[in-house]
Amino acid sequence: MSDLQYPDDLRYTEDHEWVRAGNDGTVRIGITAFAQDALGDVVYVSLPGVGDTLAAGDSCGEVESTKSVSDIYSPLAGEVTAVNDALESSPELVNTDPYGDGWMYELQIEDAAALDALMDSAAYTQSLS
Amino acid sequence: MTMTSPLHDRHIALGAKMADFGGWDMPIEYPGGGVVREHNAVRTSVGLFDVSHLGKASVKGPGAADFTNRCLTNDLGRIEPGKAQYTLCCDEDGGVVDDLIVYLRSDDDVFLVPNAANTAAVVERLTAAAPEGIVIENLHTSYGVIAVQGTKSDEVLSSLGLPVGHDYMSFVETEWEGLPVIVCRTGYTGERGYELVPAWDLSGQLWDALVAAAEPFGGMPCGLGARDTLRTEMGYPLHGNDLGPDITPVMAGSAWAIGWDKPEFWGKQALSAQRAAKESRLSRGLLVTGRGIPRPHCGVLVDGQPVGEVTSGTFSPTLKQGIALALLDRSVKVGDEVVIDVRGREVAATVTKPPFVEVDVRES
Repeated sequence: MSDLQYPDDLRYTEDHEWVRAGNDGTVRIGITAFAQDALGDVVYVSLPGVGDTLAAGDSCGEVESTKSVSDIYSPLAGEVTAVNDALESSPELVNTDPYGDGWMYELQIEDAAALDALMDSAAYTQSLS
Repeated sequence: MTMTSPLHDRHIALGAKMADFGGWDMPIEYPGGGVVREHNAVRTSVGLFDVSHLGKASVKGPGAADFTNRCLTNDLGRIEPGKAQYTLCCDEDGGVVDDLIVYLRSDDDVFLVPNAANTAAVVERLTAAAPEGIVIENLHTSYGVIAVQGTKSDEVLSSLGLPVGHDYMSFVETEWEGLPVIVCRTGYTGERGYELVPAWDLSGQLWDALVAAAEPFGGMPCGLGARDTLRTEMGYPLHGNDLGPDITPVMAGSAWAIGWDKPEFWGKQALSAQRAAKESRLSRGLLVTGRGIPRPHCGVLVDGQPVGEVTSGTFSPTLKQGIALALLDRSVKVGDEVVIDVRGREVAATVTKPPFVEVDVRES
């Protein structure tokens, strides 16, 4: 019954995050349609601070629904260059537009090649089945 | 073994997210709804809940009401046949085995609606205590339970020809499509509403008719996720969180449901002593003033010192803030500022007296 989408131009992690490559060594990160659907209505998001240095796999924030809490993990190593402040007042954007206005933070990544090691859309979709 | 409601197939067909509730596979939320939309439907129009996991049991025989009154905390002498009452089943040490609704049919016939997970325990204790001639029967799978909650509840029930407008905490036994159904003016949301107790096999047909009748009002099926946010906004305790073996009705603020003047009820001695000692922690509301959502077992602090613990916590869709029920030391008063330790993050909150929202469940 799933009509959840996993766009081809993104990379994905086992923790149900997506990564979009920018053209200046930065990446934008959010959680997948699967993740937001599993959580239900997102009512609170806490994000890392701009300037934070993260290692791959670091827990760097939380996303909460009415019922449950999930950690946000950094999929790659790098420095946080931007966070989506709109989620403070409108956390529901994570549900309504997970790959667009519901993005979470941006990283200046240390190793561009590490991005290629993440799953592509086909592999992620496969991992869900 | 997991139990399923008579509406289980319908929930699956609707694509509901399901989860275990006291051994029953029940809907948490529905696609197209979601906890927040379902919650708001109840606050603004009407929502339908399958709560068939709730227990059902009967106490019958000469003096059944008197017997029940000697066991459970509230005083059945306060109500007449045709009325329902919130009450508690306590241990001798005052711990809460269950909180439940008692439907007083007559002096010799009492109907109980306990929580799903506690039904067997309540039935067992009553059976063990029952004198000759009083028969306790566990009817868990003889009836479904459907809650119709919200300001448009009367319109929805009326359109099916069901009785409406009776007093809060009263019930009418009627028939629908030739089969018996109890229509009780009760609920767990704080909104005007009804809980229907149809025969198990009638439940599906009744649910379908209610869903169709609610649709024109913007009503919808609601899962147990919304039921939890609605009850938390009202400060209604949940057994296992806010009431339990270690949280007595005196602590939980449920002492209003104790008939202190009765000669006996289970736990009377222990509860009377705790009430007189005025030392136990008390349940209070916490309204988050900062950002964050309190969860059960989060610590509560004043000046860095622990003063209590959250028992229920969630996001209030109505207030768009975190809210909680917490057991707090008596030194903490309503209006005080406290800090909640939410997984290492300090979240500021004000101590309040629930409910968190204004509603009028009793309105005639």
